[in-house]
Amino acid sequence: MGKFRFDVKAALISAIVLFLLVFNVFPMCYLIFRSFFVENGFTLEPLKRIYTYPLNWNALRNTLITAGLSMVFGVMIAFPLAWLVGRTDMYGRRFFRTLFVMTYMVPPYVGAMAWLRLLNPRVGTLNVLLANIFGLSENPFNIYTIGGLVWVLTTFYYPYAFITISRAMEKMDPSLEEASKISGASPLKTVMTVTFPIMLPSIVAAGLLVFVSAASCYGIPSIIGAPGQIDTVTTRIIDYVYVGSAEGLTDATTLAVSLMVIANIVLYVSNFVCGRKQYITVSGKSTRPNIVELGKWRLPVTILVAVFALIVVIIPFATVAMTSFTKNLGKPLSGANFTTRYWNILFTREAILDTAKNSLISASVAATAGTVIACVMAWLLTRTKARGRQIPDFLITLGSGTPSVVIALALIMTMSGRFGINIYNTLAIMIVAYIVKYLLMGMRTIVSAMSQIHPSLEEASLISGAEWHRSFKDVTLPLIAPSVVAGWFLIFMPSFYELTMSTLLYSTDTKTIGYELFTYQTYHSQQTASAIATGILIMVVVVNWLLNKLTKGEFSI
Amino acid sequence: MSSITLNNITKNYGSVQIIKNFTDKFNDREFITLLGPSGCGKTTMLRMIAGFERPTTGEIKINDVVVSSADKFVPPNLRNIGMVFQSYAVWPHMNVFDNVAYPLKIKHTPRPEITERVMNILEAVHLSPYVKRMPSELSGGQQQRIALGRALVSNPQVLLLDEPLSNLDAKLRESMRFEIKDVQKRFGITVVYVTHDQTEAMAMSDRVIVFNHGEVQQTDTPMNIYRNPANQFVADFVGKINFIEGTASEGQIEFAGGQRMNYSGDKQGDVVVAVRPENMTMRTDRGILRGRMIHEYYLGDVNDCRVDVDGTALRVISSGNTYGNFHIGGEVWLDFNEYLVFDRA
Amino acid sequence: MKKFTVFLVALIVLSSLACSAGAAEKPKITIYTSMYEDVIEAMTKVLHEKFPEYNVEFFYGGTGTLQAKIAAERDTKKLGCDMLMVADPSYALELKAMGLLHAYVSKEADNIALEYDPEGYWYPVRNLNMILAYNPENFRKEDLPQSFKDFAYDENMNGLISMPNPLTAGTALVAISALKDKYGYEYFDKLKANHVMVESGSVALTKLETGECKVIMILEESVLKKREEEDSELSVIYPTDGVICVPSPIMTITDEWSAHGNSKICEELTDWFLSPEGQSYIVKGWMHSVLKNPPAVPYDSIPTADIFRSAMPVDWERCLNERTELRTNFEERVKTR
Repeated sequence: MGKFRFDVKAALISAIVLFLLVFNVFPMCYLIFRSFFVENGFTLEPLKRIYTYPLNWNALRNTLITAGLSMVFGVMIAFPLAWLVGRTDMYGRRFFRTLFVMTYMVPPYVGAMAWLRLLNPRVGTLNVLLANIFGLSENPFNIYTIGGLVWVLTTFYYPYAFITISRAMEKMDPSLEEASKISGASPLKTVMTVTFPIMLPSIVAAGLLVFVSAASCYGIPSIIGAPGQIDTVTTRIIDYVYVGSAEGLTDATTLAVSLMVIANIVLYVSNFVCGRKQYITVSGKSTRPNIVELGKWRLPVTILVAVFALIVVIIPFATVAMTSFTKNLGKPLSGANFTTRYWNILFTREAILDTAKNSLISASVAATAGTVIACVMAWLLTRTKARGRQIPDFLITLGSGTPSVVIALALIMTMSGRFGINIYNTLAIMIVAYIVKYLLMGMRTIVSAMSQIHPSLEEASLISGAEWHRSFKDVTLPLIAPSVVAGWFLIFMPSFYELTMSTLLYSTDTKTIGYELFTYQTYHSQQTASAIATGILIMVVVVNWLLNKLTKGEFSI
Repeated sequence: MSSITLNNITKNYGSVQIIKNFTDKFNDREFITLLGPSGCGKTTMLRMIAGFERPTTGEIKINDVVVSSADKFVPPNLRNIGMVFQSYAVWPHMNVFDNVAYPLKIKHTPRPEITERVMNILEAVHLSPYVKRMPSELSGGQQQRIALGRALVSNPQVLLLDEPLSNLDAKLRESMRFEIKDVQKRFGITVVYVTHDQTEAMAMSDRVIVFNHGEVQQTDTPMNIYRNPANQFVADFVGKINFIEGTASEGQIEFAGGQRMNYSGDKQGDVVVAVRPENMTMRTDRGILRGRMIHEYYLGDVNDCRVDVDGTALRVISSGNTYGNFHIGGEVWLDFNEYLVFDRA
Repeated sequence: MKKFTVFLVALIVLSSLACSAGAAEKPKITIYTSMYEDVIEAMTKVLHEKFPEYNVEFFYGGTGTLQAKIAAERDTKKLGCDMLMVADPSYALELKAMGLLHAYVSKEADNIALEYDPEGYWYPVRNLNMILAYNPENFRKEDLPQSFKDFAYDENMNGLISMPNPLTAGTALVAISALKDKYGYEYFDKLKANHVMVESGSVALTKLETGECKVIMILEESVLKKREEEDSELSVIYPTDGVICVPSPIMTITDEWSAHGNSKICEELTDWFLSPEGQSYIVKGWMHSVLKNPPAVPYDSIPTADIFRSAMPVDWERCLNERTELRTNFEERVKTR
C-alpha cells in the first residue's frame, strides 16, 4: 500500500518534470545548442559577436537598471499599499484593492501608449496641464528617459508585487505584531521591524516577479525607450529576430541567454536572502484578524492613496477608455470628435469574438494547468526535502526570464514534428507557450502562501486518516485558496492578451485576441486596440465582481 | 488491544544522532510520558510513532503489526492514530464541528453517525455549546479541546500528545490534565504523551520515560522516578533537589566544609548526596548538617527556606506553620533520612 | 492531480482535433502575407468565388515576424506556407539563393512595370511607397521639409521627426539603403543630429496627430488608409528627391519545402494576383499596382506612373549584400545616445 502511494506522488512529480523537460527545457536547450553549433561544428563566434558589441552591453546595462529600479520601486509602492489595504481601517479598502490590481489587466502596449500621450515632453497632456497650473516655462516631465521607462514599468508591474504581498499580509498572525507593540514599538516601527521581516519571503518573491517581468518586457521599452534611443535587451533581441535569417535567430538566442542568466541569478540571490528562514504566519492557533486603527491618520492616508490611484490607475485608464471613443487623437474628445465606431468594430467583427473565445480557452487551460503545476511545485518546495526539487524551480524561472519571441521560435523549431511532437498550428502550442512564459507568476505567489502555512495543519489531517492529496485538498488548498485564485489570474491575464508569441504561433483557426490587438496595432488603429483593451478590462471587472458576490468575498483578485 | 513496540530505534539527521537505540513496549491502555528537556529527542520519537518521520534504523509495531521497518513504511493516514499538536493545528477555515468530524468524513462514515459521534465527543470535551463557531472565536483552551476531540473521534488505537498543554494558563493546564487522564480511562486507549513539565508527567502517567540527548535515562513509574532516580540527571530534572558534594570512605561521607555523616552504602570516593527539600527538617538542636538560615519565603501551605551550609545554599521546604521559628542569620541544624548518593561525574 | 490528468487529456484531444481538422479534401494553399487584414478579407472572398475548388488561406503577420517564423520553420525542414507575399525583392533574392523558391514564368509578366526575376522565381505584386507625412491641422506644408534630404538636414525639425526602425521593418531598411546610396552615411549622422525618433508606424502616426512630431517618414498606405477610413486630415508629402518604392514580391515555395506541395495551383494564383483584376484589390488596399497600365490609383494618391518616374533608385543586390553593414551603421550612427 505504502509503496503504491509513493508511486502516485512520484508519478505526479515526474509528470511535471517531464512536461517542463519536453516543453521548456528541450526547446530552450535546442536554441542554445543551435547558437553554438553552426554548420561547421562548434563555435563561439556568435557569443563573441554578440557580447563584444558595445550596443548590447549598453542594452544589458539599461535592462539591469530599469528592471532593478522597477523592482525596488514596485516593492516600495506595493508593500505599504498591501499593508494599508490588508491590515488597516483605511476607507474603501476593497475598492482600492481591485483598483490596484487592475493595471495588470491592461496589455502593456496599450497602457504604454496612454502614458506616452500623457507625458511626452512636447505636448503630453499631463505635462501641459502641470506646466499651465504651475506656470512653468518648460514641460516638467520627459517620458523618453530611463526615468520615464522606469516609471511606466513600475506602474505596470507593481501589481505583481501587490497581489503577492497583500495575500500573505492578510494571513499573518496578528499576535506577532501585537508582541512588538506591547514591547513599546510604534506602529511604524512595528511594520519595519516585525511585519516587513516576516513578510520577507513574500516580498522577495514579489520583487523577483517584478524584475523578471520588467526585464523580459518588450512592449513598453519599444514604445517608451525607442524615441530616446534607450535600448534594452529585449528590444535588441527583437532587432536580431527581425533580421529574419537563421543568423538573426542565432544572435537573438545568444543575447536571450543573458536574460535567462540574469533572471536565475536574481532567483538565487533572492533565495539566498531568504535563506533557510521560513516564517510561518498561519499557525494552528486561530486568532482574529486584527485591523490597525489609523486614528487621525485615517482620512489623510486614504486621500494619499486615492491620489496615487488617480495618477497611476485612473488617469491612464481614462486615457485608454477615451481613446476608444476619439476619432482624431489630435483633438480633444468632444461631440464632433466622438465616435462609437471602434466599439462597433469590437462587437460586430466576428474575428474579435472568435479570437476572444480562442484566447479564453487557451488562457484558461494555461492558467489551470499552470496553477496545478504551481501547487505541486509549492508543495514540493515547502513540504518535502525531495532531492532535485530546485531543478523544476530553476527551469520555470528560466522560461519566464526568456523573452516571449525566443520561446515562440524555440517552440516552432522543436514542436513541429521534427522531434516526434507536432503541435504546431494548434491551440496546444500556444497553451504550452503561455505556461512556459507565465508559470513563474502563479508559482511564486502560491509558494510564498504555502510557506506560511504551519505544517502541523497538514499533519493533523494526515493523522486523521486523510491521504496526502486529500489533506492537500481539504486543508492546504482552502487555506491558500486566495493565493491560488490570485496565481490563476496572474497566469490567465497575460496569457489572455498575449501578443508576441501568439502572432508567431497562431494558425488560421487558432487566432487569439492578442493577435487581433497586434493587428490593430499595426493597422494604426490605436482606438480599436483601446476599445479591445477597455472591453477586456470591463469583462475582468465584471467577472471579479461576480466571483466576489458568489463567494461572499472569499475569492476575488 | 493496542500496544506499541519499538525495537532498536535510531534516528539520525545527517551526522547528528537524535535518538540512540531506543527499545520499549508500550502496553495496551498504558499512559506513557516521554519526559525531557527541549531538544532531547522526545518529539522526534513521537513523530516516528505517528509516521511523520521514518526511523533511520529499527522497527515500530502497533498491535504487533509492523508500521515502520527497513522495508516497510505505513504512512500516518493509515495508522489509525489520534494526535494533538503543540500548536493545536486546528484548521482555521473549518468550524468546530467540521474540525472534529474530519477524521470520520475521511473514513466515509455515514452522515448520521458522524453527527452522533461528533456530538458525543464535543460533550466529552465540553464544547457542545460551540458546535458552529469558528476556531478564531474561541479561546486557547477551547481550541485545544477541539484538537483533543478531533484526535479521539475516530476511536484511535493510540493517542499521541505533543506538549498539548504548554500554551495554556496554569489553572487550565491543571484541569486539562485531569480531563485528558479521564478521557484516557473512559476511552481505554494507549496514550503517548510528550512534555518537558515533570508535574504533568507525574500527574497522569503510568510510566515515565526520561530522555536526555536522545538516550533513555530511566523508565519507571512516576513514584520510582521521583524517589529512586537512576542518575543525577533524572534526580535533577524531576522535582526539586539539593546536591551536596562530598567524599565517601569507611562508613562515612565527609562534605566539602568538613562536616560528616554516617553512610552505609557501597559508594566510595567522590560522591554527591542528593536530598529533596521536603525531606529535610530544620531543628535547633543537633542534626546531620549545621548551617545558617539565609531566607525564608512564606507560601501559605509551605515555608520555602534557604540554608547556607559551608558556602552551599540548600533548599528546605517545611510546613507553613514553621515560618518565623528561626531567625535569619541564625544557626540551624538540618536532618534527613531519605537521601540518595551518586558518584560524582 | 485529477485536473492535471484532465489537462493532459484535453491537450491530446485538442492536438488530435487540430490535426484532423487539417485533413480537408480541397487542396489547400497557405499564403504568408503582411497585407492588411481587410485586403486579405476581400481577397479571400473573391478567391473563394474564382477558385472554388481550392482552399486558399492567408496568414497575416508583420514582415519581421513572418521572416522570423520562416527562418524558424526552415530549421524544421518544412515551411508552414505555400506562397509568400511579403517583404521586398532583396528577401526574394535571399530565398532564391537558398533554393526555397519555385520558378514559374507568368503569362502576366510582360505587363509588369517593375523589375522581376526573368526565370520567374519572384514577381513584384504590390508597390509600397516610403514617403513623408504631416498634419495640416497643426502645421503648414510650406514650413516643412519637402524632401528626404531636408527631413534629416533641416535643423528646424530637430526633435520633431520620426521614422520606422530599419532593424525591425524591412521597408525601412530599403529606405535607408536608398538614402545611403544617394547621400552617403552622412545622412545617418544628420538623422542623429536631428534627434530622429525611431519607432513603429502606428506610434509615429499618433505623434503626428497629437502634434508631438511635425513630419514623419512612413509608408504611404498607412496615411491613405487613415484618410479614407477615418476622415483623417493627415497628408502625404511626395519627397522631391524621389519616393522610395518598395515593390513587394509574390513567391511560390518549392513542393519539397512547402506546406501542402501544390505549386501548380500556386502558379494559377500568381497569374491571378498579377492580373488587372487581382491588382485592383491591391489598389483597394491603398497600395500601388505593379502593372504598366494600373487598373486604378489608391484612394487620394497620385498616379502610379508619376511615382515610378521620380522614384529614388534602389539596388536590390546591394541592399541584400550590405544588410549587415547598413544595420550596424544605423545602430552605431543613429541608435546610440
